[in-house]
Amino acid sequence: MLNLRPSGYFKSTLRWSCRRTFTSQSRLPPLPPPSEWKDIFSSSTVSSRDRVSLRAPETAQLIAESFLSGASSANGEGKIVIEAFPGPGALSRALLELPASNIQKLIILEDHPDYLKYLKPLEAADSRVKVVPLSGFDWDTYSHIEEIGLLDDVKTVPWSSGLHPQLHFISHLQHTIKGEQLIAQLFRCIPDGTWLYKYGRVPMSFVLSDWVWERISAVPPNSNRCKLSVIAEATATCTLSLDPAKLLPYDDHFHPITTKYTAEKRPQPRRPGYPLVAMNLIPHDDQLITKGMLEKWDFCLRRLFVLKSTPLKKAISSLAPGAQTMLKMLTDSSLPDSQRVDIGKAPRHLTLADWALVIRAFDNWPFAPEDLMISDAFTRQNAVRVVL
Amino acid sequence: METTLLSYSRQNLPRPARLYSTPSKRANAPALATATQPPSGYPPYMPTAQPTDASVNDMEGFLRRRTSYTMLPTPLPDDETNPLNDFYFTDSPTQDLLSVMDACLHNLYDVPRAKGIFERLRATDKGEVLLDSRVYNSFIEAFLEMALDKDSDQPAGWVEDAWKLFHELDGEQTNARPTANTYALMLLAWLRYNSESGLIKPLAFTDAHDPAALLRSMIDRQIPVTLVVSDRAFTSNDEASQAIQALSKAAVEMGLSKIVNELGMAESLGRQEADPLEDVPEAKPVLRRKKLENIQMTHAEDGRIVDIEVQGPIENDSYEIPFNLETLRKHLSQVVFARRVLAEDVAARQKLLEESVYDVAVERLKHQAELFDELGLSNKAMKSTDLRTWMWEWHQKLQIRLKAEIDHIVQEENRLGRKIESKSGEMKRSAGLSPFLSLLTPEKLSLIAIMELMHLQGTGGVADGMKTARALLAVGKAVELEHKAEMCKKSNLPIPTSSGRTSDHSFFTRLGYRDLQARRVAARKFMEDAEDWTTDWTQVVRVKVGSFLVDALMDVATVMRTGVDKRTGEAISEEQPAFFHSYEYLRGYKLGVIKLNPLISEKMAKESIRETLHPRHLPMLVKPKPWLSHDQGGYLYNKTWVMRFKESQEQQSYLRHASSLGNLELIYASLDVLGNTPWKINRRIFDIVLEVWNSGTRWCKIPPAAFDAPEPEKPENFDTDPRAKMIYLTRQKQYALGRANNHSDRCSVNYKIEIARAFLGDTIYFPHNVDFRGRAYPLPPHLSHIGDDLSRGLLMFGEAKPLGERGLRWLKIHLANLYGYDKANFDERVSFVHDHLDDIFDSADNPLEGKKWWTKADDPWQCLATCIELKAALQSPDPHTYECALPVHQDGTCNGLQHYAALGGDAQGARQVNLDVTDRPSDVYTFVAEMVEKAMEEDVKLDHKYAKMLTGKISRKVVKQTVMTTVYGVTFIGAREQIEKQLKDRGDIAAEECWLAASYVAKKVLLCIGDLFKGAKDIQTWLNSCARLIAKSIPPDRLDAATDVERTFGTGRKMVKSTEATRLKKEQMTSVVWTTPLGLPIVQPYRATRRKQIITSLQTVFISDPNSPTSVNASKQASAFPPNFIHSLDATHMMLTALECKTQGVTFASVHDSYWTHPSSIDQMSTIIRDTFIALHSSDVLGKLGDEFLQRYKGYKIPVSSLKNTSFIPGFGPTARRISGSKAKKQSASEVDLADEPADEVSEESKSVVRTGDADAQVLAALQSPVDVGEKKKRGRPSVTPAAAVMDENKFVDLTSFLPPLPQKGVFDVSTIKKSLYFFS
Repeated sequence: MLNLRPSGYFKSTLRWSCRRTFTSQSRLPPLPPPSEWKDIFSSSTVSSRDRVSLRAPETAQLIAESFLSGASSANGEGKIVIEAFPGPGALSRALLELPASNIQKLIILEDHPDYLKYLKPLEAADSRVKVVPLSGFDWDTYSHIEEIGLLDDVKTVPWSSGLHPQLHFISHLQHTIKGEQLIAQLFRCIPDGTWLYKYGRVPMSFVLSDWVWERISAVPPNSNRCKLSVIAEATATCTLSLDPAKLLPYDDHFHPITTKYTAEKRPQPRRPGYPLVAMNLIPHDDQLITKGMLEKWDFCLRRLFVLKSTPLKKAISSLAPGAQTMLKMLTDSSLPDSQRVDIGKAPRHLTLADWALVIRAFDNWPFAPEDLMISDAFTRQNAVRVVL
Repeated sequence: METTLLSYSRQNLPRPARLYSTPSKRANAPALATATQPPSGYPPYMPTAQPTDASVNDMEGFLRRRTSYTMLPTPLPDDETNPLNDFYFTDSPTQDLLSVMDACLHNLYDVPRAKGIFERLRATDKGEVLLDSRVYNSFIEAFLEMALDKDSDQPAGWVEDAWKLFHELDGEQTNARPTANTYALMLLAWLRYNSESGLIKPLAFTDAHDPAALLRSMIDRQIPVTLVVSDRAFTSNDEASQAIQALSKAAVEMGLSKIVNELGMAESLGRQEADPLEDVPEAKPVLRRKKLENIQMTHAEDGRIVDIEVQGPIENDSYEIPFNLETLRKHLSQVVFARRVLAEDVAARQKLLEESVYDVAVERLKHQAELFDELGLSNKAMKSTDLRTWMWEWHQKLQIRLKAEIDHIVQEENRLGRKIESKSGEMKRSAGLSPFLSLLTPEKLSLIAIMELMHLQGTGGVADGMKTARALLAVGKAVELEHKAEMCKKSNLPIPTSSGRTSDHSFFTRLGYRDLQARRVAARKFMEDAEDWTTDWTQVVRVKVGSFLVDALMDVATVMRTGVDKRTGEAISEEQPAFFHSYEYLRGYKLGVIKLNPLISEKMAKESIRETLHPRHLPMLVKPKPWLSHDQGGYLYNKTWVMRFKESQEQQSYLRHASSLGNLELIYASLDVLGNTPWKINRRIFDIVLEVWNSGTRWCKIPPAAFDAPEPEKPENFDTDPRAKMIYLTRQKQYALGRANNHSDRCSVNYKIEIARAFLGDTIYFPHNVDFRGRAYPLPPHLSHIGDDLSRGLLMFGEAKPLGERGLRWLKIHLANLYGYDKANFDERVSFVHDHLDDIFDSADNPLEGKKWWTKADDPWQCLATCIELKAALQSPDPHTYECALPVHQDGTCNGLQHYAALGGDAQGARQVNLDVTDRPSDVYTFVAEMVEKAMEEDVKLDHKYAKMLTGKISRKVVKQTVMTTVYGVTFIGAREQIEKQLKDRGDIAAEECWLAASYVAKKVLLCIGDLFKGAKDIQTWLNSCARLIAKSIPPDRLDAATDVERTFGTGRKMVKSTEATRLKKEQMTSVVWTTPLGLPIVQPYRATRRKQIITSLQTVFISDPNSPTSVNASKQASAFPPNFIHSLDATHMMLTALECKTQGVTFASVHDSYWTHPSSIDQMSTIIRDTFIALHSSDVLGKLGDEFLQRYKGYKIPVSSLKNTSFIPGFGPTARRISGSKAKKQSASEVDLADEPADEVSEESKSVVRTGDADAQVLAALQSPVDVGEKKKRGRPSVTPAAAVMDENKFVDLTSFLPPLPQKGVFDVSTIKKSLYFFS
């Protein structure tokens, strides 16, 4: 059938038919041709506008391999994969195309009806697939998959016995503040062993924007260093699973394509068109944030990163009244060098070890505030009210 | 003509008043009272049978007359100036110079520098207009002081400067003219340096005027010599007496017998004894007052004395009383005002209260600290138990610190030289501050910082803290106010009181109005002359001064806190800062806050916090100072503006201007009426409240000492289940929020109790001012009748009046209303009370231990107060003669809708809100609820999920807030939120369904209201369209600049070349301005926000500069106009009622649309309420508004480009007729039809005016077409229609011709209201 010499006019059509040939060899129900995604998956509704999904099947294949096989630190056999935010399912399909022994079960979490149309048929085509029409953003979703027994065959493995042999979490990260919140929350589940971590050291893989990756991987004195970087560094090893150049240019690999819409209010990194990367995340065996200490880490990091360029000796007073006394504990000359902090450094220059010492001092300080929920500072307008 | 001076003066002024006195007010009390006495039985409400009051006729006449508009130029974009605008709107750099000048003059801090600034200001147009006589006088005074004081070894130069200034004033080379004060100063200069008897070493000044020359100049300017010789410039009796002699001598030489006599009188007035009975105990011998006979005075219109004639010599008594300036002034002021000046002793406490607030505070704190020392409680641990002790300690440390810091700044500034104000842009943090910091003593500065910061805790929604920017501004402002207060009381002149009605005229006749104005102007002049000149500070100066003080305070203020070391279990004490600075996130924005140490905030809810209160937070002990000008009135010494506005220079300028035009007399008068209503604390209620407070338990809106809600339990699976954790955290957050609210409630109740306690047994007054819509509010923020149920329960009128039969009945109805039983007719409400007499008596006798019936009332504390009063009345020997001081309320039933219905003549709407005659009160909320239920029936048939779920659940309460706020323009989003809250509160609808259900109900409710109040809707739309058009318009004189894209604007760094679109946007500076029927100009302040960054040592704060106007926010201008307009009307109705009550001698108080009076006066007030409402709405309010717009915005143009994308302007077509445009010149002259154009329209515009039918049609089509396309058009891509192309040819249209026609008026006749029983009930 490829004997025909295509004329210029047919070239593009033919290219698609070739692709189709490629997918039609698969037993999986096909996705629409990439050129039609723009029309089929409208990016105008609020719920889908913020979603960026893999579109090119070849790229999806590369990423799937980088997550689960070969060079990946989380490779293995008989995996139970939970995939959140799959979009129409390019990556899901690529995962299913991996050698059959690789994946034992694929649980897909997706609540967008347009995408579900292309995901549901996977269940029929491959018995390993389970599509749950709920959002990966809600904690309820995970309780739900547990309740309906999808995780019954997941073993609980003690943290110290290495990576979890079965469970693996994969997700596209939403291109919005919500995506950033989600990954921050997931990191925060590690120290206390909540969420999937109650089963053990579960590896995770993400397709996420380069902006979030920059923030996760920032080390001092990088100006992107933030609370997320410190928590990430404290809880897990994050590595790029694939050369970022392979995902460029953006428009060749992802949906939706770059828009030129000028009235766009979102900042650049949160708009479609910003480069994406693929990342593997392996929780540390030894957790620096001990159980029950997470709130204090959160509090100190959040407060101090507000003044990220102010030297610690000045910034520390904004923690609580009298917090300057903590400086004594941090600079106590009776302590070995490794247990002292250079208080001339600004929060963004502090290393993980420095932070651990700051939080220890905070924990030991008798006047540390008890109520660590910062957002409560604003109650309502004015105690003196005027009845109108 | 035999009369003593006093009685003479009281009757004499202003003279014409007497001739025209009408018996209008005679129609009041006695006759009326008998007329309303029902013969038998209880008719629900008795309208007066009498013909309309004469003064009501006057009022109607007044309202029908054309209101005097206050017109100012539209503010210019910030990169432009012109002299007219500079005159009305001062920019910040100029204001800064003024305030530095003011501060440098004070106490001769740096007169050469002040002089430098003064000369610079005089050289520019901008500055010159700001320098009035008082500024010149300040300089002359400062120069003379310098000669006498700082530079006494070389006085010549200074005295010469003073004479130079005088000559410039006298020679009219300036905008300002000499005043009495100027002459007094120059007389002093002459006496000191030129007279033969020279008080000081004589100096020869060639250009010095001798007294004769000065006298001639005075006479030319018609300035009475008496005012000159009694001027505050004279500080010693000696000098004043010498001045009189010198002038007399000159007058004799010049043969001016009148002047000689006048001076003679002044001399003798000064030698008079004060009325001995006024403040001397009886035991003292009574001295005979000198007789003053045959004095004739002539007064100018504004009350000044222009001539005094004494016939016959004044007999000299045998005993000589030394000449006394004080006495002279006191007597003169009586003459000037033709009324008694506030007696010193009556005012003494109030004066003391305001005068020495900081001194008193210091004394109290010190006393407390000493007390503890004596008791041996001074060890650290014990000390920390008392707020006052801490404040005292901080104060001790802070004042020393401040002194050192200020000295340091002064040195630094001296070192840097005088270049500071020239580079104000780069002013370092504290540079240039020294003059301001030297205005007050370090001791006062210290106390201000402490008190303000303590008082601000809990504001701005910050638990246990405050926003930094606000705190810095507040502290800076407090320093400014204190400085001004010091200036106000420096001369210690008597303060005029409003002695109530001094004229026999109705407020509303032309004569009465002029009379009011004359009196006010006279009093204002007197007050102004009595005070030193001061000027407002800019926000930047306030923030910097505030920052300096707060920073120092935060550094020194500490508390001792104890805790337990977790590792060792030992108790540790730590000295911690009392305040600390931190950041919070508010809706994604980083916001600096100053927070209190937890130890302190805990105490704020428990201990006495009187020390943090300033008199400007308290009620007054004397009648407020009457409003004499925009910033003269209310408290005696604390400067307050008559209007509260937030950073809008435009509003300030309009107000000032309106005041000087005399357009605000009735606003001032009605605020005086409100301020003069005497109140007292209801002792019975206070005792009960105190008992509850001290018990620390929760009771009827009094929060408990310890928050009593159960803390959420931590779920078992907290550690493993993120969902359970999240739910727990949400609940925890909710709990923390509840606790924080409890704390702030506790603090606010604490303030109320504290204030009530301080004024037990006193008669108190609430000075009032207005918001920018003209609604009146009492100034004290914590305790007033406008406050919550508790505040209202604690207050009662200062005077009691016998109940009478009707009063007793109204007292009962009031009780039923407060309980919440207010939907029934009056008879049923009375029976309700009769049925519950047992409960009522029990509540009165055993409020805390009994059946607690009152606690279930809607307004429990007021209900309790009424129970007590009713019981007392019923058990008194004759209930009808029982003296009752409890206010009874009459509330408008949905007042906003009442105004709409009256405006639109909407018969259906009028019925719903009780404008019409009904035998039962109709309740619009119930009606709408029923309408919604009915509408839902349809949906139930269609098996609609929410219709089925909600059937029978749409109660009055669910829709009430939404119905009420529709008139104020509530949006669908807002309505849905309100309804969701109500549905949630019901508790019988699943929480997760509430949101969608609320959405459904909100839609239905809005639909029903739209149907019901079609009249209101039409008016709202009309108002909204007008405002939208106005906000888009450009004043005629800006057209060229707005279209000239080639021009560059601004200078230097800021120079910008703009595109046409951005320039047009920048030029849209026109806000919606209108005048209320009482003459108050209302300016909507909504403009683009632009904040300026100021670096302080604490943090960088962003504040907006009110003196730098930005373009208007058109959508806010439009959406806020209907509610603002309605508020301006309800405010007008209230003020009319207040004035009429005053005329008829009825005590009156109001909370916006709730009017209060004694029970026995309710019938009378009810008549007044109706009369004023009818008078107001018979005056074609909307028509007059339309007329005003036509005048005010005459010549204003709307850029066609800004009309393109709008989908409003319904019905603009018919009136849209004229189209003009710069490019229209191409049209040949023959096409120009000027036939029915007003002539001035043509001459005003050199450009031709096109009037062809074709062009009209095209433009209209173009304007309308985008409306239709609007929906289909996808974002961004502008579609060019042929019509749009046509419009580009015509860039502007006339605003006035585009204003939509007035909505059709319905048939309802407002005078029907007279017979409506439940209109206000």
